[in-house]
Amino acid sequence: MAKSSDLIQGTLDLLILKTVSLGPVHGWAIAKRIQQMSNEVLLVQQGSLYPALHRLEHQGWIQSETRETESGRVAKFYSLTRDGKKQLEKELGQWERLSGAIGLVVKHS
Amino acid sequence: MLWLRRIGMRVRSIFGRHKLEAALDSELAFHMAEQKAEYLSRGMSEPEAERAVRLEFGNVTAMAEQCRDQRRTRWLEDLTADTKYAIRSLLHSPGFTWAAVATLALGAGVNVVFFSTAYGVLLRPLPYREPDRLVEIELGMGGVGPVTNLRSMAQRADYAGYSPKIEKTIRQNGEALRVETATATWNLSRVLGVPPSLGRWFEPGEEHANSPRTVVLSDHTWRERFAADPAIIGRQLLIDEEPHDVVGVMPPGFAFPSRETAMWLPIRIDPANRALMWSGPNLLPIGRLNQGVSLPSAQTELRLIVDRVRPLFPWRMPDVWGTSSTLVLHSQALVKDARPKLLALAMASFLLLIIACGNVANLLLTRCVLRAREFAVREALGAGRGRLLRMIAAENMVLVAAGAAAGLSISLVLVKALPLALGQLPRLDEVTVAPVAAAAAGGIMLLTFAVLSVAPAARRRPSSRFSLVLAVFQLSLTTALLIGASLLGRTLWQLASVDTGIHSHEILAASVSAGPSRCSSVERCVAFLEEVSSTLVGVPGIHGVSWSNGIPLTQKHSAMSVAVQDHPKEPGEPAFVLWHVAATPGYFGALGIPLRAGRFFTAADRAGGLPVVVISESTAKKFWPNESPIGKSIRPVSGNVWRTVIGVAGDVMHYSLDGYPSWIDGVQYVPHAQAPPVSSSAFQQSVFLECAGIDAALLQQSLRQRFPDVAITGLKSLQGVRAASVSNRRSTAWLMSLLAALALFLGIVGVYGTLSQRAEQRRPEVGIRMALGARPIEIGGVVLREAAVVGLVGSAIGVVAALGLTRFLRTLLFGISETDPIAYVAGPAILVTTALLAAALPALRASRLDPAKVLRSE
Repeated sequence: MAKSSDLIQGTLDLLILKTVSLGPVHGWAIAKRIQQMSNEVLLVQQGSLYPALHRLEHQGWIQSETRETESGRVAKFYSLTRDGKKQLEKELGQWERLSGAIGLVVKHS
Repeated sequence: MLWLRRIGMRVRSIFGRHKLEAALDSELAFHMAEQKAEYLSRGMSEPEAERAVRLEFGNVTAMAEQCRDQRRTRWLEDLTADTKYAIRSLLHSPGFTWAAVATLALGAGVNVVFFSTAYGVLLRPLPYREPDRLVEIELGMGGVGPVTNLRSMAQRADYAGYSPKIEKTIRQNGEALRVETATATWNLSRVLGVPPSLGRWFEPGEEHANSPRTVVLSDHTWRERFAADPAIIGRQLLIDEEPHDVVGVMPPGFAFPSRETAMWLPIRIDPANRALMWSGPNLLPIGRLNQGVSLPSAQTELRLIVDRVRPLFPWRMPDVWGTSSTLVLHSQALVKDARPKLLALAMASFLLLIIACGNVANLLLTRCVLRAREFAVREALGAGRGRLLRMIAAENMVLVAAGAAAGLSISLVLVKALPLALGQLPRLDEVTVAPVAAAAAGGIMLLTFAVLSVAPAARRRPSSRFSLVLAVFQLSLTTALLIGASLLGRTLWQLASVDTGIHSHEILAASVSAGPSRCSSVERCVAFLEEVSSTLVGVPGIHGVSWSNGIPLTQKHSAMSVAVQDHPKEPGEPAFVLWHVAATPGYFGALGIPLRAGRFFTAADRAGGLPVVVISESTAKKFWPNESPIGKSIRPVSGNVWRTVIGVAGDVMHYSLDGYPSWIDGVQYVPHAQAPPVSSSAFQQSVFLECAGIDAALLQQSLRQRFPDVAITGLKSLQGVRAASVSNRRSTAWLMSLLAALALFLGIVGVYGTLSQRAEQRRPEVGIRMALGARPIEIGGVVLREAAVVGLVGSAIGVVAALGLTRFLRTLLFGISETDPIAYVAGPAILVTTALLAAALPALRASRLDPAKVLRSE
């Protein structure tokens, strides 16, 4: 069973929030999009994706609605809530601080 | 509104669970379908794509479970599941469940009742405004003069006065009724903070002797006697032959000074009547501390006021008068006598509940041992230790809940019955099952269970040795209860063997009351008593009538301050106080009081004759140890007539079986004819009838025929009076014995269960022993020895516990100390004997085992 340890702790939430912020999207497409946008580097395992989606939904940062896809199947589409937007900005800020700091350390040594 | 959204999600997770489950399933199915479609489009075959998706997904169930965990409502679902499972599993063994629930219900029911009673009487706030500021004065300070002066002098508290339990006759529709009334000052209603529900309370002017007479009714009287007629205000009521204006009705539940108080009358201040003002009816003070005043500061003020009131007496008062006056909270003073008794019983019921819990814990443990195999299977199937514990805990919770519910319903019935068994206590009729008491009992049960049943079950292998420890624990608590009950039983025994000095069997005592005109002068009074006597003697069965001012052992004070010849007192020193009995010549013979020296009264000792007095034996010894008291004299402090001692009577306990209050120096008897109860208020005296037994109604009827205003009440044999005087202790002893008996029963059931179970477990061992030549008696001996050890160790611990606990009983004991050796031997002896009896059956069973059968079954 895949664990979220494949990604840096806490970054999965950021990736999901960012992906969802681009417009309503279902679980499979989130995984796919992260994979594509990262040039096939980041593979999100289903075993991490769905618990994370449910957690974010229960924390009130994303909301879901059931509707038809282009192919005519029924799927659960996630979109960002207003609180989710704030959370995304917060996490983005944190991420930039963290990656900048790591960059500094890596460059100087 | 993030939190609102989160709550909404939580609620949906609980109530829309099925919908959420379906959504989760379809979401995962969608993902798999999309993935599969992608693989197919890349050219994989159908089975290959299916397999790849499955591999990628891994354990779908576990993943779904992880998603569910995000909802944070798992605990609730698990709890419901565990509870359902626990109920099912308990229903599978109905015998065990019934026994456990019944035991818990018994323990909890009894406990809730005694806790509720203790709470209702001792702790529940009094129904007055800010009851924590109401104070009483203990020791000293009473009477119309002192209390009204206290009222006007005090700055730190508002003092009112009242006289409780004054019987009056009211006339209504031509019928005479005796009612209990109280007199009160005009500010009593203000001090208690309870205004009348109808009309008004007294006004200051109504305290004066010649103002128009008014009365305030209790709600009960207003409803019962006057059909709750609001027009009662302003009507007149004939009380003791005098018309009174009804001015108000108090609200329901107002029960000051007692629940029986049917009406309140204003006190009557007559400054000209010095006797009435300064030594008359005992007006008791009750006060309300002013805002921001503490008890000690009001006490300091009281001390100063006492010194200012003392010189106001028309005669010289001893310098110590009032110096021991102590301010106490009314809420505490009210229940001073009830406290030790209720605390002792509440403590005992607490022990009973713990014993009941111990019993059930023992049953649970046995169940655990029997289910060891089941638990092993569950563990093998993957249930963690924690999961198993949670299961056991859920079973316990269900048992506690069922036991508590059954116990609560028992207590709702018992709480109505307990006041009957407890006898005279203040506030008892208001007692109901208190939620706080029920919560306390529930808490005790949960806590005991947590310690007694989950703890041993948490061990890898539940062992029956722990149930031996439990049995010892139960037996030690039972021993403590048995010792407590033995102490109270011994007290009853001691009280029963007290010689009161009254040696008479066929005698009845009663109170006779009549209107105020009957005894308004000496002549009228003497003539009236003679007439009543002759009427009573005319009743078939009665062959002697004597009169007195009181009935022995009723704890009614009757004291007189006296000067005694040969024992002069310095001015300011407290006077001697003698117990005062006025008696007709037949009194001594009727009560069987022996003559020690001189003579008793004769018909010649009448008013106008030589004033005489008879003293008791110990009084004679105290004042004249080396000479004859005959011919010496005694004088009341408030008068100037010296009475000559003409006889010495055997000692009699007039006050109570415990003896006299410490301030009583002796006992004097004066001829009833020389001290007739002349008074302008209602007449009341005690009468003693020499007869084998008589119908009270017949007596009443024959008196009524001649004297329509005369009532005879409280007809009782002197043995009955004596029994009633110890009813408080007797009811405590019986209730304590009942609790101890229940504890003994539960404890013994526990011991029986434990020993039976251990004997059962040792069957293989016993089989081998017998095969090797052990005799049956030796096998039985092993079981009995175990019972004896459990019993002795339990008793030993119980004795130590009792030494700590019986101090709660100290004030209830009489004639023995709280470490009375007989009680401390009797309690453990009863326990060990019963433990051995309980072991007899398992021992017999073990000794009758057939070794061949046992070994074959191995």
